[in-house]
Amino acid sequence: MLEIRGLSKAFGGVKATDNVTLDFAEGSLTAVIGPNGAGKSTFFNLITGALAPDSGQILLNGVDLAGKSPPEIVRHGIGRAFQVASIFPSLTVHETLLAAVCADQRRASVLHRRFPLAETRDRAEHTMELLGLSGKRDRTAATLSHGDQKLLDIALALVLDPKVLLLDEPTAGMGTEERWRMIDKVKELWETQKITVVFIEHDMDIVFKIAPEIVVLCYGRILATGKPDAIRRNEAVIEAYLGTEHHAGAAI
Amino acid sequence: MTELQAERAAMVPRSQARPQRWRYLDVSIALAAFLVLAMLPMFIGSKALLDFVIRCSAFGLFATSLNLLVGFTGMVSFGHGMFFGLGAYSFGLIMQRTGVPVPVAFVATLVITTIVAAVIGAICVRLKEIYFAFVTLAFQMLIHSTILSWVSLTGGDQGLRGGIPRPAFFGIDLTNHVHLYITSCALLVTGLLLMRQIAQSPFGYTLRMIRDNANRASFVGIDVWRAKLTIFVLAALFASTGGVIMALFVSGAYPEFAYWTISGEGIFINMLGGVTTFLGPMVGTVLLLILNDTVTRMTEYYGIVLGIVILFFAIGLRKGLMDFAVEWYAQRRSGPAERG
Amino acid sequence: MDLDTLTGCLASSACLVTQTTSGFIIGMLLFLVAVGLTLIFGVLKVVNFSHGAFYMFGAYFAMTAYQLSGSFALAMLCGAAGTALLGLVFERVFMSRVYGADVLMQLLVCYAFVLIFDDVVRMIWGPEFKSMGMPSAFQVAPLFIAGGVVPPYYLLLIGVALSAAVILGLGLARTKVGKVIRAAAHNPGMVSALGINTGLIYGGVFALGGMLAGLAGALAAPVRSLTPGMGFSVLIESFIVTVIGGMGSILGALIGAILIGMIRSFGSLGFPLFTEGLMYLFMVIVLVSRPTGLFGKEVA
Repeated sequence: MLEIRGLSKAFGGVKATDNVTLDFAEGSLTAVIGPNGAGKSTFFNLITGALAPDSGQILLNGVDLAGKSPPEIVRHGIGRAFQVASIFPSLTVHETLLAAVCADQRRASVLHRRFPLAETRDRAEHTMELLGLSGKRDRTAATLSHGDQKLLDIALALVLDPKVLLLDEPTAGMGTEERWRMIDKVKELWETQKITVVFIEHDMDIVFKIAPEIVVLCYGRILATGKPDAIRRNEAVIEAYLGTEHHAGAAI
Repeated sequence: MTELQAERAAMVPRSQARPQRWRYLDVSIALAAFLVLAMLPMFIGSKALLDFVIRCSAFGLFATSLNLLVGFTGMVSFGHGMFFGLGAYSFGLIMQRTGVPVPVAFVATLVITTIVAAVIGAICVRLKEIYFAFVTLAFQMLIHSTILSWVSLTGGDQGLRGGIPRPAFFGIDLTNHVHLYITSCALLVTGLLLMRQIAQSPFGYTLRMIRDNANRASFVGIDVWRAKLTIFVLAALFASTGGVIMALFVSGAYPEFAYWTISGEGIFINMLGGVTTFLGPMVGTVLLLILNDTVTRMTEYYGIVLGIVILFFAIGLRKGLMDFAVEWYAQRRSGPAERG
Repeated sequence: MDLDTLTGCLASSACLVTQTTSGFIIGMLLFLVAVGLTLIFGVLKVVNFSHGAFYMFGAYFAMTAYQLSGSFALAMLCGAAGTALLGLVFERVFMSRVYGADVLMQLLVCYAFVLIFDDVVRMIWGPEFKSMGMPSAFQVAPLFIAGGVVPPYYLLLIGVALSAAVILGLGLARTKVGKVIRAAAHNPGMVSALGINTGLIYGGVFALGGMLAGLAGALAAPVRSLTPGMGFSVLIESFIVTVIGGMGSILGALIGAILIGMIRSFGSLGFPLFTEGLMYLFMVIVLVSRPTGLFGKEVA
């Protein structure tokens, strides 16, 4: 499905991603964890084309996407939501999704017809229902609550019908209760939509409870990969990560 | 998110259930507006009024096309006036030198504009906000200085003199004032209708996405650079048409048509009328031309008066008149409680 | 096009010296305007589109001071100090209201002042061309260097501008105020958190920028004709200089200004009709190959 081969990226002398090789199986749900500055976001930026890798391959069903531009990569089927909800403030929820479907159908530069196109409607409608945004369809994105903006961001990725969905901290900036609601939603989407989901998460309780697969990044390298139980017992992980951050987290 | 974006975001409530029906509505409004304008000479014999409408057509097309960039795409071009000047000069020169029929010269002008806009756009549209504003301005100055220094072609600071020949075509005689007037109105209404279509097309919504969040738009699969270049060229075509009307009106072309102050006025017209509504720039055009005519009659220091008016809007009100109208309307509809 | 003249000039040391000097004159005046522009942009993230007005006022102030007092030194001082004050007032009263607002608003406020300032000059000094005239102290025989003619005033002009560049560069690098300004450019929130009055810094930077542009205008007054609107073409050229050198870089402004000066000076020989075009062409080449300018930092 999605195979990363020897992916590297350095900023100046700092190796933000250092020779990362990983496989994400079709229909898997993987959490990427690691201390601050571990290179998680850089890793996502490389896969989605926001940054060009120095070397390595990003194979989606055998097609190398390394170095392609974000629009090209999106069209190959890798969708992405952002850590800080990245939306279109003046468009309504409905318009946002309709416009996104237009882009996906290569109709973003159609001049002779009126927006919205009839053929975009069902997909937008369906996605709004999936994310529970149907009731807020005519609200402009700027007026939505923080949680709804995050949902809209995910909807925006999902409406493009991606094969792989990358979620950069879907629960960032939320209270405990809201976090669980969000992560349940993510799990539900993964189960019902049968897509490959990779998400970055800081909350260890969530990660170990939800994610069947975990990848631990540290200083741009893969420290460990595996099932939650194996990760929990992994010496290197405890040393590098749980040893510092988990305690700090527990103290709060 | 900037203040202006937030204000825009709070204001736009329209959702469109049946898009095609809206198109018919636009066409009907345009037709009605054209008929009213076209019948005006039958009732009012004032040449000054017709002149005023012709100038409104020229500047209205220019300002509305600038709003496609500023208001719809978030590209603040400070050199859009170059296409106004380019249109006037290209059309004037083609008519003077080749003697082809008016429609042929018009089409040729659009072709020239497309080429020039594509080249300049390809260089400019990648640049960030303020760079984009100033590099477009720099290109405007380049075109202006080329007009001034290429005396053998353009007549230098004297402009294209000796009048532009306007042979009749399809029974339209542009040397006849009423014919010229109706042609200008037709160009204005057609231009506005086309721009309205662009704004309400799927491409128009692509532009809104780019304005709001260009980075996100690229992650939805939009080629931001291509979309920006496309609208840059399209907007240039309408600005150029405005220039053609102006050249026909004064039967010549002058370096001032390509001077940077035209771009400045275009930006101010947009601010004055408001960038959140399609017709805002049209309202702004009418107001600015009235202001212009009144002030120049009263004092030679037009700049000071205009400058103070601009400051009043930019620092005092911070939005255009149509923005206030829309806000007032939205407030009335949703009731004051919801907006508190 | 007149390539023969250009190659002829390149072959003759006399012509080479004359053109290089005139290139330096143009470049140094541009540098003084551009460095203010780039400094203001670096600290306030605003392109002061009305910066050319400071240059214009500097020239007019100097002319009037010279006509009243007959002292060249006083004329320079008036040009520089008057515009510094103008810069301070302009920033505190008007520009400070549009920080953080849309680029549209910033451009409009500046646009308004370009119109107002030009008309104010027209009101006070009249619309016609004015000339300050060469001060008597410099009405001496020109120097001949390798056969080329170099008026002594040109040397003074270059000397003053270069000293300004050095003082500014050292001042920013070494002094406490310089460090605060650089810190403000880097992280305005941090500076105000440290209890430093950012308003004072912003006003000060505008005054400094205004002063440099005013000095350029004052220096130019004896050798250029004065007219309302004279600031605008200088502004556009200074902007091109900052784009070429890189926004926010003082060294870039210096190098860019000298390059543009040389292009104008030598270009006027080879391409008399396309001198301005050459300048834009050069800007386009730099922009396409290095979008942040020759010395600009990569914007994240």
